[in-house]
Amino acid sequence: MPAVLEFQDILKDYRALFRRRTVRALDHFTLQVEEGEIFGFLGPNGAGKTTAIHLAMGFVRPTRGRGMMFGKRFGHAATRRRVGFLAENVALYHRPAETLVRFYGALNGLTGETLTRRTREALDAVNLLHESNRNVGKFSRGMLQRIGLAQAIVHDPDLLILDEPTSALDPLARYAVREMLLDWRRRGKTIFLSSHLLSEVELVCDRIAVLNQGRVVRLGRPTDLLESKEHFEIIASGVSAANIPGAETSTDGRVLVHATAAEQRGVLEKIWSLGGEVVSVSPHKRSLEDLFLELTGAPGSSTQAGSGEAVR
Amino acid sequence: MKRARRIGMIAVNFIREQRWPILVLQLSVLGLAALGLLSDARSDRDDILLTFKQLGMYGIAFSIFFGGSAIYNERRSRRILAVLGKAVTRRDYLTGLLLGVALSSGLFCFMLGFTGTWTLCAIGFNFVYLWYLMLCVVAACVLSASVALFFSTHLNPWMSAMFTGLTLGVPGVLAYQFGGFWQYILPLFSLMRVFLKASYEHPGTSAGWAIPAALIETVILWLAAGWVFARIDVAVAVD
Repeated sequence: MPAVLEFQDILKDYRALFRRRTVRALDHFTLQVEEGEIFGFLGPNGAGKTTAIHLAMGFVRPTRGRGMMFGKRFGHAATRRRVGFLAENVALYHRPAETLVRFYGALNGLTGETLTRRTREALDAVNLLHESNRNVGKFSRGMLQRIGLAQAIVHDPDLLILDEPTSALDPLARYAVREMLLDWRRRGKTIFLSSHLLSEVELVCDRIAVLNQGRVVRLGRPTDLLESKEHFEIIASGVSAANIPGAETSTDGRVLVHATAAEQRGVLEKIWSLGGEVVSVSPHKRSLEDLFLELTGAPGSSTQAGSGEAVR
Repeated sequence: MKRARRIGMIAVNFIREQRWPILVLQLSVLGLAALGLLSDARSDRDDILLTFKQLGMYGIAFSIFFGGSAIYNERRSRRILAVLGKAVTRRDYLTGLLLGVALSSGLFCFMLGFTGTWTLCAIGFNFVYLWYLMLCVVAACVLSASVALFFSTHLNPWMSAMFTGLTLGVPGVLAYQFGGFWQYILPLFSLMRVFLKASYEHPGTSAGWAIPAALIETVILWLAAGWVFARIDVAVAVD
């Protein structure tokens, strides 16, 4: 599949005008987002997620390296007609919702009947059609996020870049946005999604990149990333848990053993030698939260890195 | 055509966002003109002319204020991201802002000229010369705003105003001292000298090439501002 979005070995340093200290936001950052996928972009605060998004949108310039969007260098204005962008902290002009969405649609070249129809459709998609005459300045944070989404989709873009699109939404609205994203993928659109809501990313994303200190530290499909090749879960029957070190009895009376790859063979032989039967051996599946904590260096994590593409 | 529409939309949006200061300026001109009507215009004619000149100077000060804070306000509020996230080039955005400031100044000068016709012209000021002076003020406003806008691409409003003052002031001092060539380098001084020296008795002093020079230099400043603005990180707060 062709890459819709491509970051090529990008360095981004921030330096204030009269200060010497520089902060490296992105450090040899390389990433490709393919057409038609929902790409999840994870990382702790300050990891460089928003900087990467701002680079893609042409708001900031790389210190070194380059990036392409639909085959054009980042910052190419005409290419942005194919892109819908929602910023992390939605900041929009204070005016009636419909007027506002029309304004942003018109900036992307929509006119006349098309503009009117697309504006209504965008407002309807985020469930704000009934508030179309209300001033955005009086909106709650959740509504602001939805109107932000409406201005991002009004021109029917091929690529949606969303920075924390659901952080202020209630569960119902979050569910609606999730369904909308899945619908967009079905229509062949590409979505680049930065989020702290790990469960949501796990549910909708085809691929995930975990960013830490400006570098991609893990990249892959959620299933591949979350399945461990070093930790296994062995379920056996016909033996007592007391005879196998570290084993526990599950609710259905079977014995459950967690073993590392090195221990796996020994545990299986022990079960067989005791006359037991191995029901299943499966890779241990971690939660995305476990993986996130482990990769971003958060304390209290005991699990080890799984598969997926480790990028160092 | 689409490009012109986008620029127009950004300009109108700028005016809409600055509607309160613009409205206050318009009302102040209207209010002072109304007060002028209440006074004994014949005996207070010099005071009325002085007030008129003061208001013209305010117009320039507000143009610097508008030009110097336009980008900063948008960046600080992060509203710039939603606009530049669309198919809008940075130069188009800057052009829209400059057009917005020019329209605001034009609106102010129109009101000043309009009120001047029923205050100053009623007591002997030349009608045609009055509108010529308004043209000088508009040219001065647009020139000042373009200098301020140039600095505001990378500086905060205070620094921008300070550097704008220096940039406009130094050629003014040189023009005052030496005249000649210096009159046409950022010719704010030349334009304002005509405006400030205007009197009932001696209408007709013109700014010569100062108006075309101001407009040409505005275009040069706009090009320079576009070049700088295309190279800065707009998502970073200005210190």
